[in-house]
Amino acid sequence: MSKIRIVHYINQFFAGIGGEEKADYKPEIREGIVGPGMEFNKKFGDEAEIVATIICGDSYFNENLDEAKAKVIDMVKEYNPDLFIAGPAFNAGRYGVACGTIANAVKEELNIPVLTGMYEENPGADMFKKDVYIMETKNSAAGMRKAIKTMAPFAIKLAKGEEIGGPKEEGYMARGIRKNYFADKRGSARAVDMLINKLNKKKFETEFPMPNFDRVDPNPAIKDITKSKIALVTSGGIVPKGNPDHIESSSASKYGKYDIQGFNDLTSETHETAHGGYDPVYANEDADRVLPVDVLRDLEKEGKIGELHRYFYTTTGNGTAVASSKAFAEEFAKELIADGVEAVILTST
Amino acid sequence: MDLENQKRVKDITEKHGAENVIVVLGAAEAEAAGLAAETVTAGDPTFAGPLAGVQLGLRVYHAVEPQFKGEVDADVYEDQIGMMEMVLEVDEIIEEMTDIREEFCKFND
Amino acid sequence: MVKEIERAGLPVVHMCTVVPISLTVGANRIVPTIAIPHPLGNPSLDMDEEKSLRRNLVEKALKALETEVDGQKVFE
Repeated sequence: MSKIRIVHYINQFFAGIGGEEKADYKPEIREGIVGPGMEFNKKFGDEAEIVATIICGDSYFNENLDEAKAKVIDMVKEYNPDLFIAGPAFNAGRYGVACGTIANAVKEELNIPVLTGMYEENPGADMFKKDVYIMETKNSAAGMRKAIKTMAPFAIKLAKGEEIGGPKEEGYMARGIRKNYFADKRGSARAVDMLINKLNKKKFETEFPMPNFDRVDPNPAIKDITKSKIALVTSGGIVPKGNPDHIESSSASKYGKYDIQGFNDLTSETHETAHGGYDPVYANEDADRVLPVDVLRDLEKEGKIGELHRYFYTTTGNGTAVASSKAFAEEFAKELIADGVEAVILTST
Repeated sequence: MDLENQKRVKDITEKHGAENVIVVLGAAEAEAAGLAAETVTAGDPTFAGPLAGVQLGLRVYHAVEPQFKGEVDADVYEDQIGMMEMVLEVDEIIEEMTDIREEFCKFND
Repeated sequence: MVKEIERAGLPVVHMCTVVPISLTVGANRIVPTIAIPHPLGNPSLDMDEEKSLRRNLVEKALKALETEVDGQKVFE
């Protein structure tokens, strides 16, 4: 049987092209393997091989979704592979979104099996786990070998059209698919067993975990914004020059509260960004590009808003755990309310 | 280990030969030290840099390890590293480094 | 963070570039911005044009705060 042919999609960093400053790299295709593809091929052995690798910058992809998708799909078509693999993206947000998006697009348009991998908190995971197989990985690229170790054999299974087991045994993220099967015991017996275990404080496993909805209803609109006190919050990591509280460039363990009273404009002398997940050049030149203090001050002077709150809250969104950002916001929201703030503008990169 | 340093290590090793190169690390944590050590012995574990798939197998030590500490002037060491030695998880670092060397280093001394 | 602020009772508008992420995490009022490294700016424009652009986006955000919404809405 001939080798299974695979096309691999990676970003500019794993291709060794560069970091954030090259995140606008346009899609490019190269014969054979690049970067992590090396380890994939090693694990595939004789069964499969990566025939081509597509490289695309994370910012380019996310800022030009339609064009990027179309270009990449054309590139994949050229090679007519048996399977498409994207990433793995670990906890890199834009990369994860790109991997999920392109894997899904390839699946829909070219009708071939697809696979990607990422950490469970990657935004791409929530967005696409129902549509494509996403292998669970660690939260950083240090887990590359381990990720490929599980992805490679699974990819071969997919390509061969073999029977795929449930998420726990295979290692992919639960997709919310219900499959009918005949169990040994009937439903009522299983339910009673579960209840008995629960009552006896023994371990039991639910057959159907309740979905996590967690949506919040929108608050009523502001009636008269010209009289309102507005506060700015950002996940773009804007901090006073020198980052006095050492907010981390990734996986932030804290947030900052800073005074902008008297500031009509943020400049490269007064403010900078601590965020390590995007090219900092533009934000460092003029932090208003992420935290629009200059415009809000003008609007305040013109009476278009009541007042710009004197404090802004900031943290870096890069790889910061969901639970952490939830905790930060819970805490400072209380302060905002106590300070009479009526509405918030939250900017993200 | 970042791409620049990976390239430097690769070039220096090509120029002087693996047996003549020793890498000394200063990472703040055992995990970071382990990753850097793995990079210069078994190859870049993230496969993103010039040492992806390249097994240099170099001798690599962390500045707080006895093999390094024992080779340098005690006063200079105390001056430069004494403070950090108190703050770092020295035992963890030694354990991580030893594991990597045992598994991937080509030279057994 | 957006959800927690909303949960606390404050109307909040999320200004961000990758709208699909904002939708997935559950922001209710969303204003798409320019680009990841400079959501409220464009370095290829001159200073005045850039500020004008920024003002435009912020005004859209303020408008969003003044608009009643029923669930998620992207204010293009």
